This record gives sequence, structure tokens and C-alpha cells, in this order.
Amino acid sequence: MMLFLQNTPPFLFFTGKGGVGKTSLSCATAIHLAKQGKKVLLVSTDPASNIGQVFSQTIGNTITDIATVSGLSALEIDPQQAAQQYRDRIVGPVRGVLPESVVRGIEEGLSGACTTEIAAFDEFTELLTDESLMGKYEHIIFDTAPTGHTIRLLQLPSAWSGFIDENPEGASCLGPLSGLEKQRDRYTQAVSVLSDPNRTRLVLVSRAQQSTLDEVVRTHKELADIGFSQQHLVINGVLPEKEASHDVLAAALYQREQKAIANLPEVLQSLPLDQLPLKAQNLVGVEALSGLFSDGEEGTTNSLDNSTPSMPLPHLSTLVDDIATTGHGLIMTMGKGGVGKTTMAAAIAVALAKQGHSVHLTTSDPAAHLSETLAGSMDNLEVSRIDPHQETTRYRQHILDTKGKNLDEQGRLMLEEDLRSPCTEEIAVFQAFSRIIRESSQKFVVMDTAPTGHTLLLLDATGAYHREVTRHTQENVHVVTPMMRLQDPAQTKVIVVTLAETTPVLEAANLQADLRRAGIEPWAWVINNSLTVSTTSSPLLKQRAAFELAQIEAVKTNYAQRFALVPMQVDEPVGIQALLNLGQQKTVTAAESEESPSQQDVVTHQHKAS
Amino acid sequence: MTKIEVFDPAMCCSTGVCGPDVDQKFVDFAANVDWGTGQGIKIQRYNLGQQPMEFANNSTVKSFLERSGADALPLILVEGEIALAGRYPTRDELARLAGVTPAPAVSAPKQSSGCCGSAKSNTPSNTTSSSCC
Repeated sequence: MMLFLQNTPPFLFFTGKGGVGKTSLSCATAIHLAKQGKKVLLVSTDPASNIGQVFSQTIGNTITDIATVSGLSALEIDPQQAAQQYRDRIVGPVRGVLPESVVRGIEEGLSGACTTEIAAFDEFTELLTDESLMGKYEHIIFDTAPTGHTIRLLQLPSAWSGFIDENPEGASCLGPLSGLEKQRDRYTQAVSVLSDPNRTRLVLVSRAQQSTLDEVVRTHKELADIGFSQQHLVINGVLPEKEASHDVLAAALYQREQKAIANLPEVLQSLPLDQLPLKAQNLVGVEALSGLFSDGEEGTTNSLDNSTPSMPLPHLSTLVDDIATTGHGLIMTMGKGGVGKTTMAAAIAVALAKQGHSVHLTTSDPAAHLSETLAGSMDNLEVSRIDPHQETTRYRQHILDTKGKNLDEQGRLMLEEDLRSPCTEEIAVFQAFSRIIRESSQKFVVMDTAPTGHTLLLLDATGAYHREVTRHTQENVHVVTPMMRLQDPAQTKVIVVTLAETTPVLEAANLQADLRRAGIEPWAWVINNSLTVSTTSSPLLKQRAAFELAQIEAVKTNYAQRFALVPMQVDEPVGIQALLNLGQQKTVTAAESEESPSQQDVVTHQHKAS
Repeated sequence: MTKIEVFDPAMCCSTGVCGPDVDQKFVDFAANVDWGTGQGIKIQRYNLGQQPMEFANNSTVKSFLERSGADALPLILVEGEIALAGRYPTRDELARLAGVTPAPAVSAPKQSSGCCGSAKSNTPSNTTSSSCC
């Protein structure tokens, strides 16, 4: 019996980054509790919510009974839609009254991640504080949790419009909370529910990967700090030992995961821990989910779809060759944490340098092991590193010393919280990078980060970004604004990095949509850690590979102008040789001499960008 | 008492978080508003990003926006009439607009470390919204 399912309090939150299996876990938990005769409400605020698919019925934003599970109801909240409604509340009344350009500017100010978070939290609180719901349901299960930043902001009296009116300098990243003033008491109440261990349990969901676990540590601390005290850890999708005997890749994966579990970060060691094995089938349907918590060796399903994919699967080298033709330029890899942005940037940089081009790789890789193994080790390759933490700290301090100096206690608290917003780090890091951008007119500059469209639009609107970069520009020739440089595909190529899994692909699609708002069209997508283009004889991994195809197909047809796949590696790709292997046309999976399917030279697929 | 209304540009993260530059002009003006309020001046501020209706409902402000766009903000109205546009008033100007005697310039409201110098300046520097040095 899983520890996190014992003595379950009324509210249960699952949190973790995209692709770790929050939805499967929350659905399985809901089914488990409903089967015990409890009345359960399952709430999804995942933009990629597929609980409708899981139960094969349409759910949407009203509470809907699940036909196949008695006692279970569900509700899907679309955070993007919630944010749009929130924007409409503010902007709606002036649309058509004020000039179009003015209205657009106001809307952009309310288009950041913060606004989406707040709007989603607003929906949360309604459910957390609705007495009538608590009368109806014994458990309410959420497949996401609010961030610490959001909650802390809402706890500051200065975040509320009443305060802002008197202290205009205290307006925050949230933009107006005035649209929410009525709900103020409800927030206070919701926060008290969250911090009550008798009422709320938080389940941190992770995979057995070092980088993911490090991220969990941050979430754990942040939410513990604001009183979210009852926390559990679930490590999901662990490769079973018996799979390790099949081949080198499976063995390496098994070792890597076991090592990560054995070296669990210290703060997580005190949490109740459950492990769930990787399952062969996709967790869709009540039947499959009911089996999630059983140790039953259901074996591998017989419907092993082992057909070779019918579409061409281009290799990263096709992208590199394409990039090389321009001779210089700015290459930015972007994607959610843990998808391998840094590795991809390094692989591209190394491959370009190998071809004799002059390359400057600049990375924000916190582990730094990548840049350390590369620095000074290759002709034509310059490596520099920007420490995001250091840059952000410096930036924060600068603002507090200048801006914060004259603020009163409340204003200063507000400023400090603003400086913990997700965009702060992005700005600080991008600022540091921007000094290097101008080099891209002479050589290749490869970065493992890119600003979001929202940030670019705001920076562009204030002209601040322009100033920032021109300050570092000595040449007094006619100035191309940085924004123009980023928008020009001849000068800048943005590469979206993702994994062949549902949520990561949707998250990447959202990043792309955001960049498009700023007039930037991602040049290519790279699907990293793909099992489809790996050679493995593990039945379980083969099965997982088969599930990738739908996602690869989606990337190819719906999202990417061009794309490439990078196989799951036996060893962490660190060092020149391993990185060259990624960007060169050859099979990397160990000593297997058999040809992997469909890795022949292929023409990169292109279709018209919408 | 003279009524002064200030129509600010949309300031998402007006704290400076969303820009590589800490915008000194907001800091300076906030300090001056503080001072002015202490002098009994009635100063009402509206933020385009938070209270767009206030802009739409004021015909003077609305036609200003139609003519010059949001980039031309801030707009300062005294008794409903345009008194200043495109920049914030200095402390002395604020005093003059409100018809109070400016404080003798003894101490600067703060030691500004910004490269734009302190807000206390007898010659209003005619900076447009973005230039800093």
C-alpha cells in the first residue's frame, strides 16, 4: 500500500514538472479512493489536461460525473482560458473605446506567466473554500499545485489594489489584483487550508533523475516555507531491474536511476517515499490506472506495436549542416527544465566547430560540468558560462539598493517578492547573455537559453532591452534593434527542445506560441532522449518507444518547420566525443551492430509555417 | 485645493523587475508624490495597465491617447486640463502646479545613485521616457 494513499486528508495536491506523471497519479488516486466508497472530485489545471482522454469522456470546465467510476466526478480548468477571462475583466470594458494599440499594450502586460498563475489560483481558491463542495465530496484531488511565489504574493497586503492606489511604486508583476479584490478574504482562507496538515497533503512527483530531483528540492523548500507542511515524495516510472539484462541502454538507464535514488538529496530523505515502476502500457482507461498501484507484474502487453515508423526521422546532423551554411549567427535552444537544452546547445556548438567554424558557446548550465569539460579543449570553440544564480542575485541586489532604498516596509516586501518572480531570473540571465549576442555577426554564438516572447515584448516596449544591448555595442554603424535581430531568421535561429511525451510537447508548443507573439518563429524542434531512434531489445523500452510515435507525428505535422531526433544515450553526453556523437550521423547505441531503423540520410521535412 | 491627476503608462512590474533598467523616473516621482501629499497636495494616480477605464472615461485623456498613443504617457492634468505630458514633473514643478510654495532645496529627497542624478533639479531635464545617460 502506497504511503501517500494512507489516511488521505480531504485535499490532495500533486506537483512536479511536466511529463513526470502527475495526471496518471492523480487519476489513479481518484479511482482508488472512489473504489473505497468515497465521494471524490478530481480537478485538473494542467494546460495539457488529458483526464477526459483517460476516462474517455468529455469533461471541461463544469463538474462532470465519471460514468465508468461511481462516486467520482471531475473538472478541468484551463489556465490559459482562466487568464484570458481575467484579462477580459480588465481590458474588456475599454476595448473599442481606447485605441487598438493601447489595448494591445495593456493585454501584453497581462500575458505573463504570473497572470496565468494568479488566474489559475483564483479558480483553485474557489474550490478550496466552497463549503457546499466539502459537504458533497470527501476528497478533492488537484493534479497541480500553486507555486510559492504566487501564494507569497497574495499574502502581501501591498499586492492588493487598495494598497497600490496609495503606493503606486508598489505595483507588481501581477498587474492588477484589483480584478480580484472581492476574493481577498477567500485567498486568506485558501492559504490557511493549504497550510493545515489535517486538511491538505502535497505529493511531490519526480522521476529518478538527478536534475528532476534537484528541482523537487526547490519546490519542496519553497512550499514548506509557506506552511505546506505535509509532503510526500513519489518517484514514478522507475525502470524495473529485470529490464536491465536486455541490453546496454536498458542497463545504463537502470544504473543511472538507481544511483539517483540511492543519492536522494538530503532534504527529501525525511519525506515518506513511494516508488512506482515504469509501466508498459500507456496509462489510459480505468483498467490500466487501477493497476498502477499494484505490484502486479502484468508483463508486457502482447499488442507490442513494433512497426517501424513510416515517417523519416531526421538526425540532429541535418540541422547542424543547415545551420552551417550561413557561416555565422545566433543559435538559441529553448525548452522547459530537464529536456536537455544545454546538451543540445553544446552538441550543435561542437559540431559546428568541428566543421571549422568559429563558435562561441555560452551556457547557463548550473552543473557547469558540460562547459568545464569543453573549455579550451577544441579548436575554434570558445566556451563561457553564466551563472544564473549569481546573475540573478546581483541583479536583485542592484534593484534593492537603488529602487528599494526609498520604499517603506510594505513596498520593500513587495519589491522583494517581485524579484522572486520567474521573469526576474530570465531577465538577469538574458541581460548577461546579451553582451555576447553582438558577436554573432562574425561567428556562431550558441546559447542554451532564450527569453520568452512576453519578456521580449515588455523589454521592447520599454526600449530597455534595446538600450541594454546598444550599451555593449561599440560600433556606431546604423543600429539594428536587438528585437529585429532576434526576429530575423537569417541572423537568429531558435531551436525548441522537447521530449517525445504528451506534456513536454504541449509545453514546448506553448513556448512557441509565446515567441510567435513577439514575431519570432522557432526555426526547428529537437526531440531529445528518444527511444524510437535508439536500439534496445528491452520489451518495456520498445513499448515506450512505440508510444513516442504519436508525439513525434504531432511535432512534425502541427508544430515544427523542421525537426530532428536525438536518441536516448547510454552515457550522459559529457565531453567532446560524446557530444560529437550526438551531432554526427552515426548510431550511438553502444556495441549493437545491427542497424537502427530509419536513420538513413533523410531530407529534413518542411512544411509551410502557419 | 488644486486637483492633480496623473495618468501613468501601463506598469507591469513597474518595480523595474521587467526591465534591465531600474527606471529612476518612477522612483523620483514616487518620492515627489510622497512629499506633495505631505504638503497637502491632492494627487490621484491612474495606471493604464490597472485602471484603463479611468483613461477611457476621461475625454481629455482618451483623445490624447488617440492622438499620441500610450508611449506619450505620463499625462498630468490639473483641474482636468493638460499641464504636462511625456514626463513627470520635478518637485518644483509639482509645487507650482499645485500652487504651493516649493520647499527650499535643502536636502535632496534621497541620494540617487542612478546615473541620471537626483530628482532635485532646478532645471527640469527634458528627458523623454527612456533615455538614461
